[in-house]
Amino acid sequence: MANETFTSELVKEFNALAEEIKRDYGVRMGLVQVWGKRHSYVAGEWDNGFLPPEIIYLDDSYALVSSEWDKIPEEKRTDIVLALRGIGKEKSFR
Amino acid sequence: MLTALTKREEDWMAGVIKEDEFARYMSGGRDFIDDDLIWQKLALNARPEKRKVREIIEKSLSITTLEPDETATLLNVEDPELWQEIFYAAAEVKKKVYDNRIVTFAPLYGGDLCVNNCLYCGFRRENKVIKRRVLTLEELKREAEVLAGQIGHKRIILVYGEHPATDAHFIADAIRAIYDVKVKTKNGYGQIRRVNVNVAPLNIGDLKLLRDVGIGTYQVFQETYHHDTYRYVHPEGTLKSHYQWRLYCHHRALEAGIDDVALGVLFGLYDWRFEVMGLLYHALDLERQFGIGPHTISFPRLEPAANTPFIQESKYRVSDEDFKKLIAVIRLSVPYTGMILTARESAQMRREVIPIGITQTDASTRIGIGAYSDRYTEQESERQQFLLGDTRSLDEVIRELAQMGYITSFCTAGYRCGRTGDRIMSLLKTGKEAKFCKLNAVLTFREWLDDFASLETKKAGEEIIEKELEEIRQQMPEQVFFKIREFYDRIRNGERDLYF
Repeated sequence: MANETFTSELVKEFNALAEEIKRDYGVRMGLVQVWGKRHSYVAGEWDNGFLPPEIIYLDDSYALVSSEWDKIPEEKRTDIVLALRGIGKEKSFR
Repeated sequence: MLTALTKREEDWMAGVIKEDEFARYMSGGRDFIDDDLIWQKLALNARPEKRKVREIIEKSLSITTLEPDETATLLNVEDPELWQEIFYAAAEVKKKVYDNRIVTFAPLYGGDLCVNNCLYCGFRRENKVIKRRVLTLEELKREAEVLAGQIGHKRIILVYGEHPATDAHFIADAIRAIYDVKVKTKNGYGQIRRVNVNVAPLNIGDLKLLRDVGIGTYQVFQETYHHDTYRYVHPEGTLKSHYQWRLYCHHRALEAGIDDVALGVLFGLYDWRFEVMGLLYHALDLERQFGIGPHTISFPRLEPAANTPFIQESKYRVSDEDFKKLIAVIRLSVPYTGMILTARESAQMRREVIPIGITQTDASTRIGIGAYSDRYTEQESERQQFLLGDTRSLDEVIRELAQMGYITSFCTAGYRCGRTGDRIMSLLKTGKEAKFCKLNAVLTFREWLDDFASLETKKAGEEIIEKELEEIRQQMPEQVFFKIREFYDRIRNGERDLYF
């Protein structure tokens, strides 16, 4: 239950951030949970343009997926990763 | 009377089934298969009007799951012309959702120990003619080396019986071992990129073990949805005799975070129309409770097995004609799902039914324990669960598929980049996944042609690739075409595993 609550908090934070990035840079992002090779869908969308996905690992458990990651300025990319990692630090992912 | 179980087996069996892990999904203590209701729907929708059937076909073509009354209507069609329309529509649905690609995979049987005693199964506990064996992790790796390094498979389904010697911890180790294999090929390297698993129903803790090591799809067949038949073919006192434990194992998998699950029926145990209705109800319940339907549906028919007379005695064995009908009706009823046709069927039957909706098939198939690395070519009934109908090589099957206009895909991209669960459902229903299918089919087929194809197959395959690339150029945004050309050239130069 604690993990579900955490996941829903993470999704909420992620969706808000993803919306901001889409508005400012026109870039879509998704959030996935990592289980070995399996990267299971959690939130967002990134695949409408049919371009290859880039996977940006936040930690051992979560990753961002985007097909247009390099359209975001480098500084902002770092901010996004740090912001999402920050949420992860508050509680254990698993 | 069953032969005695060992103390170890008994102790292990006592801890497998957890009442609360299926009861919470039931409604009023009942599961979602109401046998009487299914028969009622089949009876109420008898002798359907053509207009009604055509309306249902139209609904399927919009990639919408059918309601039970609609599937029952299709199952009641008698007019041969109307059946032709159904077959044609099934092919259209497949094209819309998956385009003209066929994914190939190989089954890998890791062991044949089993505590169950299913009447139809060559691996049943009481079958003394079967040579029992469990592959060690090293032996499994050798199997994977042959599959990935000599045949060229990138996707397997790992199969085990239900036994403490091959419990979830063992299976997790097996998956890890297979993923670790990397072998040099002619122009690149080979790896198994997706390990799907066909094992017994597991509890949530065990399912999480498989999730943690990166399982592809969790596949469990209900075998039959008919309660009385289920009870009859799975003798009391065995783990498999628990209908609801099995029925809700996909629910548990989804709860555990494995968001690709696969259904199936062993056709020939009970009436095929009833079983198709059961599959539909199963898909609908998963959609209702999780918003995620089956990743694939399988529909194997009973095949001969060593010392298993039940198979010949069954009065429900499915004719070739009915087999085609059930495939088409499943295709239309659950239009987004992948559909798996295996080498149980003869080459001729595979040729006939692939066009009516199949998305995945196996080839170069060996189902004996250790059979890929042992390199035996003849089937040996005492080391197989059943006998195969088609033992052709992957090269031959791919060549034939190419000549039929299909591109063979070795794509395993989706589950490695988040196209799983409700995301993949959405992409499938909107036809977007078909575009990824085409792109990744071209790239993975190129890999295979360069590493494994005979000259004749390479020629047939390259003709298909040229056609596919031209379609991509015409139908996809320019930047997508540029990207695939770049990836394609890099693969030709020996890079591997580039995907969209």
